[in-house]
Parts: sequence; C-alpha cells; structure tokens
Amino acid sequence: MINTSNGMMSTTSSSNAQSPGLKTYFKTPEGRYKLHYEKTHPSGLLHYAHGKTVTQVTLAHLKDKPAPSTPTAPSSSFSTGSGVRSAAARLLGGGNGSRALSFVGGNGGSKSVSASSRVGSLVASSSSSSTSTSNFDGKGTYLIFNVGDAIFISDLNSQDKDPVKSIHFSNSNPVCHAFDQDAKDGHDLIIGLNSGDVYSVSLRQQLQDVGKKLVGAQHYNKDGSVSSSRCTSIAWVPGGDGAFVVAHADGNLYVYEKSKDGAGDSSFPVIKDQAQFSVAHARYSKSNPIARWHICHGSINSIAFSTDGAFLATVGRDGYLRIFDYSKEQLICGGKSYYGALLCCAWSMDGKYILTGGEDDLVQVWSMEDRKVVAWGEGHNSWVSGVAFDSYWSSPNSDGMGETVMYRFGSVGQDTQLLLWDLEMDEIVVPLRRCPPGGSPTYSAGSQSSHWDNALPVGTLQPAPIMRDVPKISPLVAHRVHTEPLSGLMFTQESVLTVCREGHIKVWMRPGVSESQSNNSETVLSTSLKEKPLSSGKVGSSSYKQ
Amino acid sequence: MGAAGSKLEKALGDQFPEGERYFGLENFGNTCYCNSVLQALYFCVPFREQLLEYYSSNKSTGDAEENLLTCLADLFTQISSQKKKTGVIAPKRFVQRLKKQNELFRSYMHQDAHEFLNFLLNELVDILEKEAQAAKSDQETSSPPEKMVNGPKNAQANGSHKDPLVTWVHKNFQGILTNETRCLRCETVTARDETFFDLSLDIEQNSSITSCLKNFSSTETLNAEDKFFCDKCCSLQEAQKRMKIKKPPHILVIHLKRFKYIEQLGRYKKLSYRVVFPLELKLSNTVEDAESEYSLFAVVVHVGSGPNHGHYVSLVKSHNHWLFFDDENVEMIDESAVQTFFGSAQEYSSNTDHGYILFYESLGTSNKS
Repeated sequence: MINTSNGMMSTTSSSNAQSPGLKTYFKTPEGRYKLHYEKTHPSGLLHYAHGKTVTQVTLAHLKDKPAPSTPTAPSSSFSTGSGVRSAAARLLGGGNGSRALSFVGGNGGSKSVSASSRVGSLVASSSSSSTSTSNFDGKGTYLIFNVGDAIFISDLNSQDKDPVKSIHFSNSNPVCHAFDQDAKDGHDLIIGLNSGDVYSVSLRQQLQDVGKKLVGAQHYNKDGSVSSSRCTSIAWVPGGDGAFVVAHADGNLYVYEKSKDGAGDSSFPVIKDQAQFSVAHARYSKSNPIARWHICHGSINSIAFSTDGAFLATVGRDGYLRIFDYSKEQLICGGKSYYGALLCCAWSMDGKYILTGGEDDLVQVWSMEDRKVVAWGEGHNSWVSGVAFDSYWSSPNSDGMGETVMYRFGSVGQDTQLLLWDLEMDEIVVPLRRCPPGGSPTYSAGSQSSHWDNALPVGTLQPAPIMRDVPKISPLVAHRVHTEPLSGLMFTQESVLTVCREGHIKVWMRPGVSESQSNNSETVLSTSLKEKPLSSGKVGSSSYKQ
Repeated sequence: MGAAGSKLEKALGDQFPEGERYFGLENFGNTCYCNSVLQALYFCVPFREQLLEYYSSNKSTGDAEENLLTCLADLFTQISSQKKKTGVIAPKRFVQRLKKQNELFRSYMHQDAHEFLNFLLNELVDILEKEAQAAKSDQETSSPPEKMVNGPKNAQANGSHKDPLVTWVHKNFQGILTNETRCLRCETVTARDETFFDLSLDIEQNSSITSCLKNFSSTETLNAEDKFFCDKCCSLQEAQKRMKIKKPPHILVIHLKRFKYIEQLGRYKKLSYRVVFPLELKLSNTVEDAESEYSLFAVVVHVGSGPNHGHYVSLVKSHNHWLFFDDENVEMIDESAVQTFFGSAQEYSSNTDHGYILFYESLGTSNKS
C-alpha cells in the first residue's frame, strides 16, 4: 500500500488507513495507474446533510492570469475573464476526426474570436492569499464539487487534500454544476439546487472572495418560481453564447440565457401529456428561462451535449436514452435500458457513440450511426453511476489511419469499482452484421446520413433489447477505488478522477505521467502540470442522484 | 390518530380509485413482523382479489372451521369493505389464530417477517389442498395429512406423493428452480426441479439485487469432499452445479439474507449492507430467455441494528404512488424515498432501515385464474 517511490503517497497513506484493502494503484496493459492525490471536504461536515445529496465533480481550468488593467475592487463588478479557447482543437481531434455538421447551434463563428477584454482580475492580493492555503493565485485547474449544503473548490494540482474555498448555501443544497471554459464574460460556473433554484457566477470571483457565500451571482428560477422540482443535471450549451440548460426531477428541462436578467416573467402552458415530448417557448422576449422542454415522465437523471453542441442526450427514470437535435428541438432517436432507470450518459468526442449506465448494472454503448445499442458492458456488481470516454487515450496500434477504431472508456458504480473498457469496432460489428436483414451498414466509409435513410423514422424510441441480441464486452480492468458507492468519473490528460457519493475524490495518474513525476517536489510537479492545460468543463462526468 | 388519518386522506386526494383502502394495523406487542407482511400481501392485488373471491364463494357453504385462511380473508374483507378511505384496524383474530397455530409466533419475542410469510403461504396452500381433497373424496373420511409445522418451504412440493394441486396461491407465488449438475467425467447433465415461493439470496456489501441473483445462479464446482454421485458413471465424480429459474413466478418474492449466523460469535448478526434494488427487474438466470419484466410493489423493511430486536415497516406501491406503513401509521412517500432503504455502505451507520423482503409483480401476462 505504501509506495515509497512516490513522495505523494506519504500524504495519502493516512487516509488509506481508513479504507483498508484498497490498493493505491491498478494495472492496465499500458502500465500502472497510481493514486496521486485525494481531495475531500472538512470532515466536520460529515453526517449533517449526508445521504441527501450525491457529490458530483466538475473540472475547471482558469486561464493564465490576465494583467490587471483596473486595480479597482473586483468583486463589485463581474470580472471578465479572458476567454481564450485553447482546448477546442484538441477536443475535436480526440477521436476519429471531426464530424462536419452543417448545423452548429447558435452562431458558431463567434467562437473563434477570443474575447480579449482583460478586466478585473486580481493579482494575488492580500485578501485572497489569506484564504488560500497553498500556491493559490486564482488560476490553474480546479475541482468543483458539492457536498451537503456546500460547494467546495479544490486545487487539482496541489497535494493539499482540503479545498481552497467553500461556499455555503442557506436556502437549499447544491446538487449539480457545470463550468464553461469558453465563457465570454465573467459567468462561467452554473449551479443547480435541490430546490430548483439556479445560479450563475464567475469562478474566479468566488476564488478571490474571502467569504463563505456566493458573490456576484445571477439567480434564476428564484425560490422555484418557474419550477420547484429538484435540479438533476446542468450543462452549458457548447458554442451557445452563454445559453445553458437545467434538467429537473419532474421530467422538464429549461433553457436559460445568462445574459438575460433572471427576473423576467416566465410561465409555460400546462403539460397535456406527461409521456410526450414537447417544447414550449416563453411568450416574452425578456423571459428567462426562454424555453421548457418536457422530456419524459419521471426524473431526468442526467444530460450531456455532444462536443459540437449539435445533439443533446438525456437519460431518465423511465429507462430511456433520448437524443435530440438541439437547435431543431427535435427528438432524433433513443432506446430503453434492459430494465430500470438510466442514471448517467456521456458522448464520445467524435459524437459517434453514447455511453449510458443504469440500474440494470450494465454499461450501454449506443451508436448514433445505427441508432441502437451496439454493446453491453457487463462487469459492475451494482448500479452504474458514471460513464466517460477517455478522449486522451490513443490505441497503441493506431499510429496510422488504421481501419479499426478503438475507444477507451471508463465507468464507475455503486459497487465502489472503477472499470476501464476497450471498445474495438470490429468486435461489436461482427455480431451485429448477422442481425439486420439485407446489407448492414459498414463502419469504415460512407456518410452518416446514408445509413439514416434506411433506418427508423426520426424520433422512434427503441424498446429494451433482448439479452442475447446485444454483443457483450468485458472490462479490461476492475478496481475497487473507494469504500463508498461512486458517483462519477472523468478523464484528464494526466489522470482519471473518481468521486464517491460522500464527496471524496481520488486522482489516479496515468502510467507514463506518474513515473516521470515521481520526484517529490511539489512545485516542480504542479508547474509541469500547468504547462499542459487540461480540458475544462465536465468531461463526461455524470452522477446518480437521490 | 384522527388528525393523522385526515392528513393522509388529504394527501391521497383523488389520485386513488374510490374502492382502494389504506388502513394501518394495530400492533399487539411485537406483531409488526406480521403487520408489515400483511400490508405487502394486501397490496399484492392478484393475491388479494383471489383471496376475496375465494372468501365470497366459500361463505355460502356455511360456517367453515376457522383457520388462518379464513382469518386472513376476514381481515382483508374487513379492510376493503370499510366506509372510510383511511383508518386503523386491529387484526386481532388473525394474530390470535396465528399464535394458536404455531407456538413459534406465540411469544412476545421479536419474530422474523420472512419466516412468518413463509409459514403463512405454506399454511394457506395446506388448507386449500386439504379442502380440495375433502371435496374430491367425501367418502374417504378425513385422512389426516401430515401437519406442516413450519417445515422447509419446499417440503410439500418435493415430498408430494400425488400430483400436487395447483392452488391460486401457487399460481401467484410459485416458481420452479432447476438444479443442473453436470458430471465432469461423462458430461451428463442431471436436472432436478424444485418449487419455491420466494428466493433467499446471499448478499454482499455495495451490490445490487441483479448481482445477488447472478451469484445465486453462478456455477459451483463440487469436488474434494463434496463430490457428486453420477448415476451414469456409478461413482462419485467432480461436477459443476448451478441453479436456474425454470419457471419464473408471477409474484417474485426476494428475501435478502440479512441475518447471518456468525460462527465465531455463536449468534446471528444483522448485515446492514447496502443492496440496491431497482423498481423494475428482469430475471436473466432463467432456463429460457423469458425476460419478462417485473415491477416492485412492496418492500418489507427491517429497522434496527440486531437480529433479535427492532421493528418492521413496509413500503407499498398502490396505483403508482408509494405509501409507508408503520403499524397504525400510514403515510404517502415519494418514489425516491424507496432509495433510503437500500442499506449502509459503511458498517456503523445511523441508518438502520434496510429492505428485507422485496415483492415484484410480473408485468407480462397477468396470472389471474
């Protein structure tokens, strides 16, 4: 358990004493993943609101600190962070080439313009350094996570277990959050509450404030004026000019625009048929939310946008995965779980596959090309609460333009296990080919639309597949990572992050990375990590909520 | 009580059909094991309907001898014919009869709800079989059938000498397991069927019912001391054994083995493990790919940290709403509240309310006789 070659382990060994039997590494064909850091919250908080909320984690990368052009008090106004896009190119190149989609939501052209206004950021002032424990200076990569009535912010690249910042909510518990790395003005963090209330704030501004309250926040759906149903999942619309969507436990999803005042009157007509998808737009242009999507009967448990923002996937209590054309507000396709609710979903970077996990203990791979489930991953001993593609992973034999595309993905469950999977297209195509009558689509060539022509009509939801009809895949690795049921995972360039329901986060360094950095100098380590900016936002993390 | 009753009535609103009744059951000193199971059975709609039907058609035949079946039918009729929608009923006659019938339940000690359910179902079957026999052969005056005193649940099916009668209790609850043993020498598969009214599953920490069912049907190798006598080889051989479900029951009752005998301690211990159960379930360990979907409609919950004390309550789904029954008290709860009865991910936890018996009904073709 004690790995002396890594200086970081000395700090983590004490916590591992509480979780006997948990190894601090796991082996994969490419090498060992090692436990590098653990992040948690002050233990005094335990037992208070526990069990009521489930921790989710969001990754946020704040850009290099802009030069302070105005030395005035920054908390009085929105601090406009520099919106330099650094990660977009990599995101698109992650998988198997970008999909040229003609319909990009909103005006995609504006994305390429880097907002260069640099106002209101603080150089580590006396006030901010008093709250910080380590090398905190308001830039770098942060983990944002909710536990009980609080949001905690931790510095990803410091060995400090404790958060650098905590924000407490007096009205209700925060349950979901999302960060927009490409935000053009200050508000880049959105937070959804158990009460249905929603806030948008500037992360940088929170970090610079010394208090324990949210500062400079915009408040939407105040006191549940539009919907008093619990928020379940929240997401920025990629390239959506500050638009974001909030999913609720009553099966509705609301679209907001952060530029608009949240106070405008928004009322929507009564939903006639709970089982039918319907979209209603606000009657007044000033209204915020601007639209309500009624998705399904029962809770929406998780939502995820495709990287290009063209598609929105939802999963819910009714067990259905639904995929919408976001700009057309149209249901494209979807299907039912084997049984039980679906709890989480995530897109592949190229938009070709969607992973879901749910109460049937299965990890499901949905193909956008075939519009159906193409594989079931069997390996969890309980509900699957988080799924994510590893967009940083490249298959060892894919130096050229190989025919076989391989994907790596991960899943976590209430069985406390992290599972890693390889999805090789050949493996799952073969059993599928004998299923459909006539010529089945090939994977290597051809445009997507040609396959769709002979597919089901748009908006058809597939029933639950029969067990023997779906090809099964087995995990590459199964590792028990926490003592508590897990709620999410995400991949960064250097690591895999796992989080449990109770708010403990573990950072597992990828094989190459941890060895080159086994040197125990913390400063060397953190700066070297900062040189490679991590992707921001929610990298396919998702959670299961109460 | 009255205030609570009207509060429930208000909560019920008009979301429930006119005829449905929600009555708490009085506790006669540690009879919560009985109350919790009775509520689950009352809201097992096909069972209730067939019991009431049986009762109304048998009433005309004059005053039959009182037994557990008539007492249960009496109680259910009493509840369903109440004028008010909510209230409290004292299941006095039923409890008295139960104590008379079985000395195990006579004491004021804490009883096991699963043992009670098992006893009750077997007793009902026994009574129905006796009645059928009596009706069939009136000349054959009372051949005393061996009394079933809380024997193993499958005894009446295994040891039956004639074709077992299929009563409406069987039609609801009975499933068939097949025990397949494959001799590793001659590869012959020996299959032995046995009936069940419920599945008792071993549980593990942080697992799901799906996973427990998988383990229940996992292959076990018989070797060393525990070899299998193969009829074909006429000798003890190594073999592989597994249990599969040959005929899934209409009402699937799953008993979580939360009370485990710990040899080192010389006593039973309650396992508070977190075992998640979905609101919908499919059995994949069936002989044929039946894949009929089940829907959870009742959960008997054990409250407490030990096996010899504590309390039982039940969660019941009625017309798509969940209700919480705690002896006299009835409350409406949100569907998401069911998740608070999964158990504890850590051994020492303040949460001691754990799902103990799960009742699922098949959504496939309904099994009414």
